[in-house]
Amino acid sequence: MAQLFTPGADALYRLALMTGVACLVGLPVLAAGIVRSNYVTGVGVAPAQPLPFSHKHHAGELGVDCRYCHTTVEKEATAGIPPTHTCMTCHSQIWTGSDMLKPVRDSYAQDKPLEWKRLNKLPQYVYYNHSVHVTKGIGCSTCHGDVTSMQMTYRANAFEMQFCLDCHRAPEKYVRTPDQVWNMTWKPPADQASLGPKLVEQYHIRGGARLTECGICHR
Amino acid sequence: MVGAVSGGPLIRPDETLQGIGGTVTAIPLTHPGNRRWWIAFAGAASLLGLFLLTLGYLLVTGPGIWGNNNAVVWALDIASYDWWIGVASGSLLVSGILLLVGAEWRGAVNRVAETLALLATAAAGLYPIIHLGRPWFFFWNLPYPNTYDLWPQFRSPLLWDAIDIVSFLVICVSLWFIGLLPDLATLRDRAQVEAMRQADIKAPTRKLALLRAQVYGIVASGWRGSAAHWQIWVQAYRTVALLGVLLVVSVQTGASVMLAGSLMPGWHSTLVPVSFLVNAVYSGVGVTAVIVMLIRLVYGLDALVTARHLDVLGRLLLCLGCASAYCYAAEYFDTFLNGDAQARGVLARRMTGEYALVSWTAILGLVLPAQILWSRRARTAPLALAAVGLLVAIGAYADHVMVLVVTLTQDFLPSSRLPYGVDIWGIATFAGSIGLFLTLLLLFLRYLPAVSIVESRRLALTESPAVRDATHAAASRAAAARPEDNAASAPLWGVSASFASQGDLAAALQAVSGIRPDHVHLDGHGPVPMPRTLRALGLEGRSILPYALAGALLGGAGFFGMCLYATAYDYVFLIGGRPRLSWPSFVVPSISFAMMAGCVAIHLALLVLNRLPRLNHPAFNIPGFLRASDDRFFLTAEARDESFDAERIERRLAGLPAEAGRPLEIRRIPR
Repeated sequence: MAQLFTPGADALYRLALMTGVACLVGLPVLAAGIVRSNYVTGVGVAPAQPLPFSHKHHAGELGVDCRYCHTTVEKEATAGIPPTHTCMTCHSQIWTGSDMLKPVRDSYAQDKPLEWKRLNKLPQYVYYNHSVHVTKGIGCSTCHGDVTSMQMTYRANAFEMQFCLDCHRAPEKYVRTPDQVWNMTWKPPADQASLGPKLVEQYHIRGGARLTECGICHR
Repeated sequence: MVGAVSGGPLIRPDETLQGIGGTVTAIPLTHPGNRRWWIAFAGAASLLGLFLLTLGYLLVTGPGIWGNNNAVVWALDIASYDWWIGVASGSLLVSGILLLVGAEWRGAVNRVAETLALLATAAAGLYPIIHLGRPWFFFWNLPYPNTYDLWPQFRSPLLWDAIDIVSFLVICVSLWFIGLLPDLATLRDRAQVEAMRQADIKAPTRKLALLRAQVYGIVASGWRGSAAHWQIWVQAYRTVALLGVLLVVSVQTGASVMLAGSLMPGWHSTLVPVSFLVNAVYSGVGVTAVIVMLIRLVYGLDALVTARHLDVLGRLLLCLGCASAYCYAAEYFDTFLNGDAQARGVLARRMTGEYALVSWTAILGLVLPAQILWSRRARTAPLALAAVGLLVAIGAYADHVMVLVVTLTQDFLPSSRLPYGVDIWGIATFAGSIGLFLTLLLLFLRYLPAVSIVESRRLALTESPAVRDATHAAASRAAAARPEDNAASAPLWGVSASFASQGDLAAALQAVSGIRPDHVHLDGHGPVPMPRTLRALGLEGRSILPYALAGALLGGAGFFGMCLYATAYDYVFLIGGRPRLSWPSFVVPSISFAMMAGCVAIHLALLVLNRLPRLNHPAFNIPGFLRASDDRFFLTAEARDESFDAERIERRLAGLPAEAGRPLEIRRIPR
C-alpha cells in the first residue's frame, strides 16, 4: 500500500506545529516588547526643536532655577512653558547676534510664539497637577529625570499608568524634604526607609488606598 | 439507559462496518444533494454577509445602533449571547452525558451535538466582544502583564464570563476533535482509495483527489487505529466529556450570577442559576433535535438515526420541559408568597406590561409544546420533534429578552427609567450570527462525517447480525493463510497479519506475545476500540487520568492562586466593601480554568503517549492496511533488533486454528 505522505512530511508537520506554538507564545511577547520599547514610548528620544535649547547648559552649568522659566509649577496644574519674553530677559543682553538664537529674536519681533515639540504628555482623561506634587515633596527629577544633564531634552520616563501607580502605591519611597525637591541629582538617602513615612505624615499625604482610587487621576 | 427506551432497533439489522463507513463518508466525499447544499449555503452566506455589514456599522457607530441606552444597557446583544451559550451548553451536556453513561446509540446524535456546541460557542463568543464600546480592547478583560499595572477584577462575574467562554471554546473544540479523529482517518483512507483509483485511470481530477486525501490525512494526524491509540482515545474522549459537563455548570453559573449578583429587581433570586441551567440545556436539546431531524431528512440517514433515537430525544425534551415549567412555577409561587414589592412588580410587568408579548412567547414556548411529547406517536414523528425543538429555541430566546429588558427598563430609580424598543440592527446582528452558525454548519456537513462512524460501528458490532455474518464469511474464506515466500529482499520492518474480527486478533496476539518480547513490538490495529487486545499487548492499566487530574489541579490551583495574589496582595482595591480575601468569588473562574487546563493536558497526553502526529509510518506499507479503518483488524510484529525471527512468528500465526486466531493473510513488511 502506498504511503500518503513521504517521510519528510512528518518533519514539516512537526516544524509547522512547533512554529505555531512558538508564534502563540512569541507574538504576544513580541507585541508586549514593542509596546514597551522606546520606539513606541519615545523615552530617550530627543526630537528636533525650533532651536537647540540645552537644559544642561542653562539649568546645569549656569544654575538657572527651574522656576525661573517654569513659573507656575508650584501654583498651578501645569508647570508652564516660558514665553519668548523669558528667553529675552537674558538674550536681549547676551549672545544677541548669535545665529542659533535667531528664531528667538524672530519670535519676539513678530510676536509669534516658538513652537516647541512637546515631550511629556498625559492622556486627556488623566487629571494631573504639578503644584500638589512639588509642594508635597515629589521632586522634578522623579518624573523628568536629571534634566540638568540633558544637552537636548528627551523624555526620561514613559508616563504609563504603572509609572504613576508605582509611586501612588508607596509614596514614602520617593518623597523628599522640601529643600531637595529641586535637586536634579537626588538619590534616596540611606535613611529613606525611616524618613519617608515621617515625611508622608508631615505632608499629610494619604497613602496607598486613597492615592490609588480611580477618581484621584480619572476625574 | 437503553433499557428504558422501548421499541425498534437502534441500528438497521443489515448494517455492516463497511456499510456504515460508506454511508457516512459518502456525504463528505461525493456531496450528494449538491444543488440543495449550494442553495442553503447561499442563504447562510448572505446572512453571514449581513453579519459582516452589521459589524462594520457597529464598529463605526457603536452599540447604540441596537437601541441600547443608558438604562437598558443589555438587550438583544446579551439575550443573543445567553441564548447561544445556552444552546452550546445544552448540546455539550447532551453529548457529554450520553458519552459518560455509555449509551451505545449515541453515535447518531453525538457528533451533531458536539458540532452544535462548538459552533454555538463560536457565535456566542463574539457577542461579549462586540457589545463592548471599543471591541478592539477586548483583551483588557484578560489577566496579562500590562503597562497599567492593573489586574482584572476577579470578583466580578463579568470576568468569570471571559474565562468561561475561553475555556468553553477550548473544551468544545477538543471534544469535537477527539471524537472526530478516528473518523477523519476513515475519511482519509477512503479518500486515498479514491485518489489511487483516479491516479490509475489518469482522471483529470486526480491531483485534487490526492490533495483532498492529504488534507484529511494532516487533520487526522496519522491516526492508525492502533490498540494503544484506541485505549488512550476512549479515555481522553470520556474525560474531556466529564470536564465539559462540569464546565457547563460553571459557565451557566457565571452567566446567571451576572444577573443574580446585581441589585436589580427580578434578577437576584437564588433560583436564577438553576433556571438558567435548565433552560440552557432545554434549548440546546431543542436545537439539537431540529438539526438532527434536518440532517436525517436531507441525507436520508434513517438507518443510523432511528425511531428509537427520536424517542429518546423526545423524552429528554419532555423531561426538560417539565423542569422548565417547574422553574417558572417556583419563581411565581416564591415571589408572590414572600418576595418584595419590587420583585412582584417585575413579574406583573412581565405578564401585562409593554413586553407582555415577549413574556408569553417565552412561557408558552418553553412550557406547552413539549407536553405533546407525552404521546409516543409525537415523539417518533420527526416533524413534531423538530417543531417542538424550534418552539423551545424561540421560547428560550424570548425568555432571555424578557428577563433582561423588563427589569432594565424600570430600575428602582424613576430617573433611570428609559423605554426600549427593538432596533432593526439588533435583529440583523442576531440573524447574522445565525448566518455564521449555519455557514459553518453547512461546511461541516459537506466536508466532515455528520454521524460518528466509530460509535455507529461499535453499536453495529453488538447489535447488527449483518456484521457477524460478514465476519464469518471472511473468516471461512481464508481457509489457509500462508506466509509469502519473498523472504529477505528488502530490510524488514516487521510481520503483519490481518483478521476479520477483534476476537481473532486478540487470540493471535495472545499466541505470539510470548515470542521473545525484547525483540518484537506487537500492536493491533482496527476500526473500533479493541479492549480485548490490551492484555496481550501488556497495556492494561495504562491511564490518561493522572495527566488530566494533574493538568486540572495545577491549572485550577494556579488560577485561584493568581486571583488571591492579585486581589489580596498585588492589586488591593476596596470595592463594594468586599474583603481582601474574597475567595468564594474566585471559585467559578478557577473551575473553568481548571477544566481548560485539564483538557489541554489530555490533548498533549493523547498525542505524546500515542507518538502522534506521525503522517508517514511503516504500518501504512501493509497491503490492504486502509481497511484497518474499515472492517479489518491487523496484527503487527515490529522488529526491534537484528535477532528478530520473522519465520517463527509466521509459523506460529499460520498454525492457529480457524475461528480462534487464524489470520486471513500474513505479510512481511519492508521498512
